[in-house]
Amino acid sequence: MSAATATISEDKMDARTKSVAPDEGTRLGFRLTLPAQILVLFISAFPLLMQLYISVTDWSPLSGVGWWNAWEMWNSFANYTDLAADTRFWSALQRTAIVMLVCVPAEFLLGLALATLFADDFPGKRIFYSILLMPMMVVPAVAGYMFFMLFQSGGPVNDILSRIVGAPVTVAWLSDPNLALIAVMIADIWQWTPLMFLILLAGLVGVPEDQMKAATLLGANAWQRFVTIVLPKMKTIIIIALAIRVIENFKIFDTLYIMTGGGPGVATETISVYIYKVTTQDLIWGYVAAIALAILIVLSIVAVYAMKRMAKAREVQA
Amino acid sequence: MSAIHLKNLTKTFGDFTALKTMDLEIADGEFMALLGPSGCGKSTTMNMIAGMEEPTSGKILFGERDMAGVPMGRRGVGFVFQNYAIFTHMTVRQNLAYGPKMRGAAKAEIDRRVGAIAEMLQLSPLLDRKANRLSVNILQRVAIGRSAIMEPAIFLLDEPLSNVDAAFRAVMRTELKQLQRQFKQTMVYVTHDQLEAMTMADRIAVMDHGVLQQVGTPLEVYNNPANVFVARFIGAPGMNLLKGRPAESDRGLVIDLGPLGVTPPLPDELASAARAVCGDVLYGFRPEQVALAERGLSMPVSFVERIGARTIVHLGEGEGAMKAVFENDVGLSVGQTVVVAPPASSVRVFDASTGLAVKAG
Repeated sequence: MSAATATISEDKMDARTKSVAPDEGTRLGFRLTLPAQILVLFISAFPLLMQLYISVTDWSPLSGVGWWNAWEMWNSFANYTDLAADTRFWSALQRTAIVMLVCVPAEFLLGLALATLFADDFPGKRIFYSILLMPMMVVPAVAGYMFFMLFQSGGPVNDILSRIVGAPVTVAWLSDPNLALIAVMIADIWQWTPLMFLILLAGLVGVPEDQMKAATLLGANAWQRFVTIVLPKMKTIIIIALAIRVIENFKIFDTLYIMTGGGPGVATETISVYIYKVTTQDLIWGYVAAIALAILIVLSIVAVYAMKRMAKAREVQA
Repeated sequence: MSAIHLKNLTKTFGDFTALKTMDLEIADGEFMALLGPSGCGKSTTMNMIAGMEEPTSGKILFGERDMAGVPMGRRGVGFVFQNYAIFTHMTVRQNLAYGPKMRGAAKAEIDRRVGAIAEMLQLSPLLDRKANRLSVNILQRVAIGRSAIMEPAIFLLDEPLSNVDAAFRAVMRTELKQLQRQFKQTMVYVTHDQLEAMTMADRIAVMDHGVLQQVGTPLEVYNNPANVFVARFIGAPGMNLLKGRPAESDRGLVIDLGPLGVTPPLPDELASAARAVCGDVLYGFRPEQVALAERGLSMPVSFVERIGARTIVHLGEGEGAMKAVFENDVGLSVGQTVVVAPPASSVRVFDASTGLAVKAG
């Protein structure tokens, strides 16, 4: 290479990495966003501090004192020690984890398969596309009622199964402890696969076509192209999709609560259902605050981990 | 073994005809440039050779082998994309190793081949660099190396220099030509830049509107354009073409250019061919070959472009406008009237109704 080419390429690199004078831009930006930042800080920090405060007391709305006077009911971290020994809490947490470990991978794989299918053209694509997105637009409570009715022992699911088997099927989906959990997971997968599909499709169409062609010309078959080009290129978007669904699925509540109410017994009681019950039935808000704070810490760890992975993936792709 | 034969090739996209009947023979080891303005069908032709698109009709043969229905991964062609299509999420090494790896070559074999190709392209010190942080010249060599490692008999390059700036392009032209000498493969090079085609190609296929206009060596195409399109397209500026009518004079056949006057007589061989044309002709000559003379076409200077080594003088206006290129600065200014004459040997005549060149002899 001659000197001329070297200078040209270096100039290009400089132009790409150079940015606006950093100090000036940052200072002006800070001043312009200050009011908004104060507001956001108040909205997010204030409830958090309030929660932290209540979580170390026995305060409840029935205790007769305002929450700001909750210090009178200081219980020296009894809520946290109770929480550690609360088997119902731990089994709810475990159940939530199981639901998440089944639903999120299922939604991911189904979404990815559908996205791959929809990346190419086929007759009637637009209609199927609209139909596919519908579950996502159904209000979760409505979806809950829908699946509640579908899974009745005399409902359509059993009806279809009996036609397939040729003998009457009367499975008590929602009152069998194991089947109830499966029914709830089916409902979640039905409702949230479209979101996964939508996000992954966006990632899939963003894979550079010429690199795919180049891979084909170099002899890669469809599966090899998928593994060596498509998946690495989609890494960032896959992490985003998984992070969204992990966090959302961890908070699974409305559809499930309408379908089973957490029952039979506590068979489908996830962490959100448990918190809801303690809040509305037992009314021990200090304890609720402690549970919620523990959950927040778990989810924050997931979110931070996902963001770190994403930053790394983006650096690799650039 | 790796000659390419295109026979009656056509390609239509719905109502749009990208390529009307193309016949082209590319010899084994030849560097063929497909040259033409955008939309002329050159990229379509190349995509069909690569197998990215199927011809609407006609045949593509590699040597004796009909390529119809052979998928692009099995054609054994190397393809360098306009933007190189480097796998940006991989290192240079992974890019180079991609082809052999996908075909299941052994690890030791891959390492050996990557080492050899990297050595040849001076990429050895960069092997473990991420491909997204490389300058354009290195990207291009990676793109070439990634294809060359498969030892394809045919190399296709799709405007590889079009997104590179001018100074850099000059360097890349010589580098590419050297690479072709090293690899000795059949190369098909698509470009809209005549300078690239002229400097690198063994032969040039000039295309326009899906029709092959002329195939020939760079000098043939420059000196003896087959038709008006090639005459205007090749050369910077293109050939001067002045409309006129053949007329007999006592000195031989001349072209009556109307208000511009009468040209010097045509050389005998050209004259006899031109006599066969009924109707108007176009009197053509290269601006570079125009000289100031005592007798010839008398024209006013309308504009003078001085570009250092050369001076382009625009003469006349409207239909009778022409250009003259002088090696150095000439003492001409706008408004002045000059008398110019092309040397008789450099004159070309075209049939105005068909646009085809009138061939002497």
